[in-house]
Amino acid sequence: MTSKIINMAEKLRDAEDRMLESLFASEPIADDGFSQRVVRRIRRRIWIRRLALPVAMVVGGAIAIKPASQILVAASKLLTVVPQDVVVKPAEWLPQVQGIAISGSLVQMAIYGTVLLGVGLLGARALTD
Amino acid sequence: MEVHGAGAIAQPATARDDQYLVALAVASQDTAAFGELIRRHQSQVRNFLRKLAADPVEADDLSQEAFLHAWDKLQTYSGRGSFIGWLLKVAYTTFLQAKRKSKRYAEVLDEAGHVADMESRSYTEDSQEVSDLDKLLAVLSQEERAIMVMSYACGLSHREIGDATGLPVGTVKSIIFRGKEKIRTSFDIKDHQHG
Repeated sequence: MTSKIINMAEKLRDAEDRMLESLFASEPIADDGFSQRVVRRIRRRIWIRRLALPVAMVVGGAIAIKPASQILVAASKLLTVVPQDVVVKPAEWLPQVQGIAISGSLVQMAIYGTVLLGVGLLGARALTD
Repeated sequence: MEVHGAGAIAQPATARDDQYLVALAVASQDTAAFGELIRRHQSQVRNFLRKLAADPVEADDLSQEAFLHAWDKLQTYSGRGSFIGWLLKVAYTTFLQAKRKSKRYAEVLDEAGHVADMESRSYTEDSQEVSDLDKLLAVLSQEERAIMVMSYACGLSHREIGDATGLPVGTVKSIIFRGKEKIRTSFDIKDHQHG
């Protein structure tokens, strides 16, 4: 009931309201390719968003592969300088040495990957805007 | 609401209501359906922003931004109010964000000593032809202007304006009343109801 009264009151516009309506009234603006421009920008954003992650992964992987391989080579060399009795006899802490070397390289790769992914996403965002 | 995918757009676009097109755009990321929504409402959105931003080129840039934001947030449109009311809400938010950004930019320029440039720019703007509506809008605050434009130019109900601005209906009514009072006193308009 209250809402009906409010709606009725809104409809009962006086002469001043009509004058303001005529003052505020403006000619419709022709589209003139406006909607097409917006749709083109939306489509471009959709494509950029779809491509951002795979491209960032590929670029990140390509850049990270060299330092990652260097780390792996260094880790394998480290194993060769470990005394033979350590490598052969106490088999319980040899896996720890390998584990440390591998996890170190993985951490470094993860850091490289994260940084590159972040840069890629920020770049994609900048392109979108 | 049933959505049949992009193929269903073959029917005449005018036969479809806004909510159907919104559902189509959300469900299948259909940019053609959203394009139809833009075609339908671009005039109102651009007129609204032209009245707020004064510079038509800036207003059109803001309109594009507003439609891009609308696309990003389309799934948040509940279908409760009119679509144009929701669009104007997005447009108004875009305008306020741009205004805040340009204010910060002006502050940075000010600090860097570019005041002279800004002054010459405002002089150019002042020297342009000023319409009756511009004079009328000049006496209103930014909020009053937006609400008066939504009410008198876009024909939104008080409730729709409340939804768009995040203000209670009572506040919307009092802002409109205050705006009318300002216009009346500034332009010495007699109360039309009493001649």
